[in-house]
Amino acid sequence: MDALRLLTPEITITIFAFAIISLDIAWNDENKSRRILPWLAFAGGLATLLMIFYIWPHVDQYNYTAATDAGREVPMLAVDRMSLFFKMIAVLTVILVGLSAGEYVEKHTPFRGEFYGLMLLAGLSIMLLVSSTNLIMIYLALEFLSITSYILTGFLRRDARSIEAALKYFLYGALASGVMLYGFSLLYGATGSVDLATIAGSLETTQAGLVVAAVILMLAGFGFKIALVPFHQWSPDAYEGAPTPITAFLSVGPKAAGLAVLIRVMVVALPAFDVNWTPILSLVAIFTMSVGNLVALWQTNMKRMLAYSSIAQAGYMLVGLAAWSAAPPSAVAYLGGVDAIMLFLLAYMFTNLGVFAIAIILENQMGTSEIADYAGLIRRSPYLSVALLIFFLSLVGIPPTSGFIGKLFVFGAAVNQGLYVLALFGVFNSVISVAYYFGVLRNVFFEKGSDESPIRVGVAMNTVVTITVVMTLLIALYGQPFIQLAADSAQILAANF
Amino acid sequence: MLQEFEFVGVLSAITLTIPIVTLLIAWALRPKKPNPAKQTTYESGMETIGDAWVQFKAQYYIYAIIYVVFDVEAIFLFPFAVALRQLPLYALVWAVVFIVLLVDGLLYGWRKGALRWN
Amino acid sequence: MIESIPLSYYLLLSATLFTIGAAGVLIRRNTIIILMCVEMMMNAVNLTFIAFSRFLDSATGQVFVFMIMAVAAVEVAIGLALLVELNRHKDAVDINQFNSLKG
Repeated sequence: MDALRLLTPEITITIFAFAIISLDIAWNDENKSRRILPWLAFAGGLATLLMIFYIWPHVDQYNYTAATDAGREVPMLAVDRMSLFFKMIAVLTVILVGLSAGEYVEKHTPFRGEFYGLMLLAGLSIMLLVSSTNLIMIYLALEFLSITSYILTGFLRRDARSIEAALKYFLYGALASGVMLYGFSLLYGATGSVDLATIAGSLETTQAGLVVAAVILMLAGFGFKIALVPFHQWSPDAYEGAPTPITAFLSVGPKAAGLAVLIRVMVVALPAFDVNWTPILSLVAIFTMSVGNLVALWQTNMKRMLAYSSIAQAGYMLVGLAAWSAAPPSAVAYLGGVDAIMLFLLAYMFTNLGVFAIAIILENQMGTSEIADYAGLIRRSPYLSVALLIFFLSLVGIPPTSGFIGKLFVFGAAVNQGLYVLALFGVFNSVISVAYYFGVLRNVFFEKGSDESPIRVGVAMNTVVTITVVMTLLIALYGQPFIQLAADSAQILAANF
Repeated sequence: MLQEFEFVGVLSAITLTIPIVTLLIAWALRPKKPNPAKQTTYESGMETIGDAWVQFKAQYYIYAIIYVVFDVEAIFLFPFAVALRQLPLYALVWAVVFIVLLVDGLLYGWRKGALRWN
Repeated sequence: MIESIPLSYYLLLSATLFTIGAAGVLIRRNTIIILMCVEMMMNAVNLTFIAFSRFLDSATGQVFVFMIMAVAAVEVAIGLALLVELNRHKDAVDINQFNSLKG
């Protein structure tokens, strides 16, 4: 397969995004045909997903697409199973968020074309980021993702809270990307290359001190995207102020992208440097889990609570990376921990998007996302209440849900590497998280609400909730294919280098 | 190393001396008959009104924003133009794609009324 | 002939610039000045890249600088646009006044 065909998913999503934006400016505001724009975005997402599955069987022999610089190959993007896995997550997120956004967007903003166009472009930026093997490409894709996210966060320009959220997100983001860039420049100076594989090869010419400094600076940039403590302060504000579908997107898309690029940098560029990353990663993981869970206990707003909850979830994912880094250096191909992260992420995506779909439905109906307003939901919509119960069980990690399988693998990887304290912190944090998730459920099932009118659920919303519930249960009850998928994707990553 | 910077010092001294000397000669030769009209900031212009620190119309910022974005894109075309002769034909195609995307952005701004002054 | 200025001078200068910029972002409360400090950090990074690029005799660093300049312009555009938009709601540029989201 030649390079251009390997990039068909990216090309497809780009064409659809530009088609949407072009049609949007070609038709004026009164034109009825503008109603197809959301469906065009949906079709674009599906087409991209098909393209990903189409090239999936062909990628193991062809790893690189390369830009040619005077006869010298400069790798920019790697199309491997790992990047395809994360691309699948990105596109699924865009599709599910796009489906659940319909009514919300209609209600809150006249700029429909831009919304869906930018959603697809944000998906594109994640797809580029997860396959970047070059510091330049990582930077460009990361900024692409940041800039689309800033605009989408501030999308409700008549709402001061949305703009304020976007400004805060932007200011933290600009600082983080500046710090990350400084790390890049130091790494470039230490190794003389911006290509990850070449950086790994130029070990003997470098000093470990400079590399450690560079990596810690880079961690700021990636940590900002994943919302790791202490780079998480933007996320509660951005999550609360952003349009709720965008909050759903932010809680999965950028996190997956940041994790993918962190994994790739760690696995490809850094094993050659004789530095033990486990203490740093474990510490960040412990702080991220604990801060996320402890602060979530005090939240009264659903979106803000989910912001802290997803910070904690990112902490669990980092446990997997810490477990990988603790493996003995002789076993570089060993990617136990990385496959656990992928499985966890797959489970987390469906579960979290499901929770947000319910939050969007309720916000459309009631106009708020305060947890107190969820009281008596069981009488208004038993289906949504039970779905919420399943999602929260999954977020805590109680069987029979996908979150349990994810946590089992992540903490199992940590125990395998002898990181008992880390695993213990993880389990302990899961116990804490029961308190705030079940606080919401107590409201839903046992409190009496002031409003008893039934909740109306549209077809698109119903589809999203059903898909996410089914997947949340399926990954747990029929997990073998998904576990295999994650393991395959992780192994291919190691085989490349 | 210091000696090697000597000529920079000499050059600076000369470039400073010439304008200062010219100004001094002009000051010594010119007649001095001040009157109030001559003392104003703009002798032959309007009297200034109010403070220079006024609020600008937001419209100015929108123009500035569009200008900044399109201005900086030129740095990609510049190296391309320099290397054009050594590049294969498809490089030209990519440059055209790049420009088409930029024009798309400009079209968007135009259709959304960002270029209209009101 | 003038002997070239050693690499460490450039690195020291850019580290200083970067630190001033980062401190400015963290300390100043005026959003426009924060934007300027972010620009300063970017330019410090640019200087590091150019210095390394010259020192290592590799053009990649300069390519990176082009990209950073373009992205920095886009970032400023977004930042200014957000600020103009926020100004319609609140007549302020002081970030302490942007406090409707907290918890």
